[in-house]
Amino acid sequence: MTGEGSGPQSIIRTEALSKWYGEVIGLNNFNLDVRPGITGIVGPNGSGKSTLFKLVLGLIRHNAGTITVLGRKPWGNADLHSSIGFCPDYESLPVDSTGREYLALVGRLHAMQGAELSKRIDEIAKLVEMGRALDRKTGGYSKGMKQRMKIAGALLHDPELLILDEPLSGTDPLVRKDIIDLIKRLNRDHGHDVVVSSHVLFEIERMTHNVVLIYKGRAVASGDISDIRDLMDKHPHNIIVEGRGIAAMAKLLLDRDYVVSVAFNDSKDSVTVQVSRPDDFFDGLPTLIDEAQCSVTKMYSLDDNLEAIFRYLVGR
Amino acid sequence: MDMIRTMAGIAALTLFSAKKLLLGKKTIISILVALFVAAVMGYAGAQDVEPLEDGTNLLDTLILFFFMPVTAMIFGSSLIRDEIDDRSITHVATAPLDRAFTYVGYYLPLSIAVAVSMVAVSTVGFLAFFGQHRMGSEELEVYLEFLGLVVIGSFVYSSLFLAISVLFKKPVFFGLFYAFIWEGFVGSLPGAIQKASVKHYLRSIGSGWVEHGDISGFDQASSVWGSAVLLLVLMVFLLVFGAFLFREKELV
Repeated sequence: MTGEGSGPQSIIRTEALSKWYGEVIGLNNFNLDVRPGITGIVGPNGSGKSTLFKLVLGLIRHNAGTITVLGRKPWGNADLHSSIGFCPDYESLPVDSTGREYLALVGRLHAMQGAELSKRIDEIAKLVEMGRALDRKTGGYSKGMKQRMKIAGALLHDPELLILDEPLSGTDPLVRKDIIDLIKRLNRDHGHDVVVSSHVLFEIERMTHNVVLIYKGRAVASGDISDIRDLMDKHPHNIIVEGRGIAAMAKLLLDRDYVVSVAFNDSKDSVTVQVSRPDDFFDGLPTLIDEAQCSVTKMYSLDDNLEAIFRYLVGR
Repeated sequence: MDMIRTMAGIAALTLFSAKKLLLGKKTIISILVALFVAAVMGYAGAQDVEPLEDGTNLLDTLILFFFMPVTAMIFGSSLIRDEIDDRSITHVATAPLDRAFTYVGYYLPLSIAVAVSMVAVSTVGFLAFFGQHRMGSEELEVYLEFLGLVVIGSFVYSSLFLAISVLFKKPVFFGLFYAFIWEGFVGSLPGAIQKASVKHYLRSIGSGWVEHGDISGFDQASSVWGSAVLLLVLMVFLLVFGAFLFREKELV
């Protein structure tokens, strides 16, 4: 779990951190210890990911607990921003400016200027593959181009820590793959520590094995993704099975020790099976079909979405 | 290094915002105001008038006491607030620049943009009116004196409306109230109440500078130096107050 052990290697550390907006709780007693490398923050929309990032960046003030970023308190500490690059999940590019003008402004705000700044802009544009679009107005960029340009803005001053809030949101699969590769390269080849958020677990899994799951303002689990997957596997899964002769299969299922319950849905051709070990269920399915002499036309899990997993983790 | 970074940051923000205000969508406001002033002063100039007296009164009424506070209100109430609302302020808020100095980086371009816009509008009005009459040293003197008042007013009104934009979520409503009700109405009432407006002190300075028109005979005037000091103190206070508010503001 989070919050154990600290030391010089902690990049972001929070203890009992809470933030509320009036009567709405953004983060609640939140404990976190982010170490170097790529860390994925996973949670459904409204879980508190963006609130966490705003606290990390010192854009908002926390109500309780403590937070340190690179060993320093973020609120009112503008110097810290020279070590952090931030790519927000919302559209933040000035629409009337070109990509080059935007990057020049960001660079100048970080005291870069002249030939050094121009060279750096070209380098970064090349890195995020935006070289050709640099002199176009950002208002005309596609979603993927805007994401790349925001990442470029975050990278321009070569920060130690990169905060990327939902960088894959709204992008098509090809762009998504490119951005995932870029994030991995930024850590592996350029040495940036990266904290990246998403509401899709498998996207984060393609970037890192080190994840933190957030739900309703709390860190519900953190660590290696395989440990979290083990934890999730213990979660009773609800699986819908539809087809012909399903009643015979349902009878056989009742004898299996991994089955918690079997319930018929609206018709006798559809059952909801609750299983404690989904892997065993899927492994034994061909044998079951064979024994019951049935045919399965459709099968899906009700619990493949993050929301169900989070509800389970919070309730366990 | 910190000082260099701060100065570089203020300069970068000043250039960027000034360009946005003067060459962006708001340019249309300045152009429309200039056309209106040119039409009104051009028409007035074509009539049978006492050029120095009537021209001065027109500059006084149109520029100094109407379009300048209104332009400062339109520019000032939207500059920071629009960036907070559309969240394009993120790259500024995450820069290594103390927010109090960032605020200065917004104040300077705002004041410059209002001043440049109003100097341009005044010049257009001046040429439209006096171009039809004699343009001697007296007319030029009036013109330069008004430009001085326009520049002072731009810096004072900008500090006021920028602070309002940080203080209120809907600054335009408060700005409209202030510009029209307070400055326009209360500032014109006879008696001591008009001393609670920026307009009164600008007119007081003007009464000591300009030798023509109604402004030269402003009978309720405070002293020129007293008015200048008061406007300076007000401007500095509003600048510090706005910077403090902006520094403590949560950008959600």
